[in-house]
Amino acid sequence: SSSPKQPPAEMFIERHPERFSQLTQEKAAATKLRIEHFFKLNVSHAIERNQRRVQTEQALAQERCSEERRNRQLMSLGRKESSFLRLRRTKLSLEDFVTVKVIGKGAFGEVRLVQKRDTGKVYAMKTLFKSEMFKKDQLAHVKAERDVLADSDSPWVVSLYYSFQDADYLYLIMEFLPGGDLMTMLIKYDVFSEDITRFYIAECVLAIEAIHKLGFIHRDIKPDNILIDKSGHIKVSDFGLSTGFHKTHDSSYYRQLLEKDRQSSGTQRNRNSTVVDAIHLTISNRQQISTWRKSRRLMAYSTVGTPDYIAPEIFVHKGYGHECDWWSLGAIMFECLVGWPPFCSETPQETYCKILNWQETLQFPEDIHLSPEAEDLIRRLLTSQDQRLGRGGADEIKAHPFFRGVDWASIRQYSAPFIPKLKSMIDTSYFPIEDLQQVPDTPSAPSSNRQTNVREDLPFIGYTFSRFDYLTRKNAI
Amino acid sequence: KRSPQINYQPLFLNSAYVRAALVKGSFQTIVELPKYVDLNEWLALNIFEFNSYLTQFCSTLSEFITPETCPTMNAGPGYDYLWIDNNRQPIRLPASTYIEYTLSWISSKFDDQTLFPTRQGVPFPPNFTSVVKGIYVQLFRIFAHIYHTHFDKIVHLSLEPHWNSFFCHFISFGKTYNLIDRTEMAPLASLIQNFEAQQKIKVA
Ligand SMILES: Nc1ncnc2c1ncn2[C@@H]1O[C@H](COP(=O)(O)OP(=O)(O)OP(=O)(O)O)[C@@H](O)[C@H]1O
Repeated sequence: SSSPKQPPAEMFIERHPERFSQLTQEKAAATKLRIEHFFKLNVSHAIERNQRRVQTEQALAQERCSEERRNRQLMSLGRKESSFLRLRRTKLSLEDFVTVKVIGKGAFGEVRLVQKRDTGKVYAMKTLFKSEMFKKDQLAHVKAERDVLADSDSPWVVSLYYSFQDADYLYLIMEFLPGGDLMTMLIKYDVFSEDITRFYIAECVLAIEAIHKLGFIHRDIKPDNILIDKSGHIKVSDFGLSTGFHKTHDSSYYRQLLEKDRQSSGTQRNRNSTVVDAIHLTISNRQQISTWRKSRRLMAYSTVGTPDYIAPEIFVHKGYGHECDWWSLGAIMFECLVGWPPFCSETPQETYCKILNWQETLQFPEDIHLSPEAEDLIRRLLTSQDQRLGRGGADEIKAHPFFRGVDWASIRQYSAPFIPKLKSMIDTSYFPIEDLQQVPDTPSAPSSNRQTNVREDLPFIGYTFSRFDYLTRKNAI
Repeated sequence: KRSPQINYQPLFLNSAYVRAALVKGSFQTIVELPKYVDLNEWLALNIFEFNSYLTQFCSTLSEFITPETCPTMNAGPGYDYLWIDNNRQPIRLPASTYIEYTLSWISSKFDDQTLFPTRQGVPFPPNFTSVVKGIYVQLFRIFAHIYHTHFDKIVHLSLEPHWNSFFCHFISFGKTYNLIDRTEMAPLASLIQNFEAQQKIKVA
């Protein structure tokens, strides 16, 4: 019984992977990828580490400093390299963070303000319910995009520091932006002046341009995803994470809803409601708008999401490109100036219909004054794909007369129209905390029957020293 | 231990397979202690990574490592590994159980902040090297079992370049930092010699 079952060495094996289970074959493919990645990383770490050492040594040689100072500098480099190694085997888990408050809710989880137990540093932690994503087979996709996002270091994109997971959730630890989001700001101010609108839309142009330059299409630009940092400037969140999960992108989903609607209430109701809706919203009745706003926020928390800002071409599977984000920007600009998004309706399916028929349904209310430049820009964004401004690059938009006088190169250095007044590092006064309490909780505790052996932890994001160095300089770690 | 069988020629020594490699060149570049870097920190990260990737291989092969196919944890004729139970008695375990126990024993070590500190500024214990050696030997045994008993599956899955290179990296590291005795390496001695002859592993 102890004799080896393998054929002797002279024998060749005819490879028959197909005789093995699908699962084993998939695991083998994943193992190959991971091992290849492992060696590539090891080599590039060695090379980069070497470069850093040589650089430091050469710099010290030129300085002609004392032996003692030289040694001190080299020891300090060694300490930094060593703590980078330590970080690479550090697994963070939920226990490393204390929740201060829930500050946001999304379709697939919550966003909390958290503090890291050992350092007291403040972060925003986004929880994503994994089964939702696994169902759509999106996790690999999320990981890849997330890594690019993490490496981008763009001032226009929310930084992601760590991620980890347990059996049920994927956790993303991001920088906390204390100013809330544009949706909350719009709920507070109803409308913005053209000057203020110009500021936010101009910053959005640069943010969207940055995302496109990284090779991504956001597809889900909306006021909830435009976050405000502590100096009042914007950053875009959520890119590469929500895209693909959302039912909002799925036209068949809307068609289904529409069908249901027709069946249950007959054609009459459907016709009426559109009419009633249109009248309600074109008279600037504050009461009506605030009712709409309430449902707007609830909509943000639902899995259905709001289709208000989504370009028509996304619904009609005929292909879309980066220009779909410029449509969304047009819709946001309309909302900033008018007070509601251009196709808003009582139900998502009506909104969906209006967006598809934008040629008839896009209307500017008569009692609200917009400058001709503003209206023109909106019309050039809310138009068909092949006509849309921005399809040839962001410069087309930047050159529009609405933005006359905008200093594109240094807009982030100017002071913002609203600068959050913060009492502490954990001030959440810019977040709708009360509203959130009324929203039903998504399951929050990890399920008890979790299998411990599935804990395939996601490594520290990016894994690059430059990122590590950047974070230590920013005191994030 | 049983007496070795004389005519045993393991599959992994087949020249078609033993030359398969993912990585060309010497492993020294990625094994050597980087200048100015703390030795313990280097040992800790490397043993940590060897464990996670070996676990990945085990998981890939898990449907073949069953109590029926491998009633004992063996590494070719003459080598049966025994598990030391709670009463310090050596017991024979099916390979699947042995590996499962080993991996969770190792993972409990990694989770122990007094052995593998992850917080800034917390030092390693004085006996850290022996902790690493203990883990290293167990990982070696898993390598040995898979080489001797499951290499045919590795070949079916076309994993042998990855597996060999990973093993060469592992052994290069172990030899550089003296993590394992020659006697422990006996079940794979001929393989290691072969890799040395191919200059994939530096001759110590
Ligand atoms: N980094 C952050 N700092 C501060 N607040 C944040 C941060 N990320 C998200 N939030 C808050 O949480 C809310 C919900 O976050 P987000 O939009 O990312 O989640 P989501 O709604 O699940 O995503 P989706 O847009 O895909 O539905 C945001 O509108 C914002 O108010």
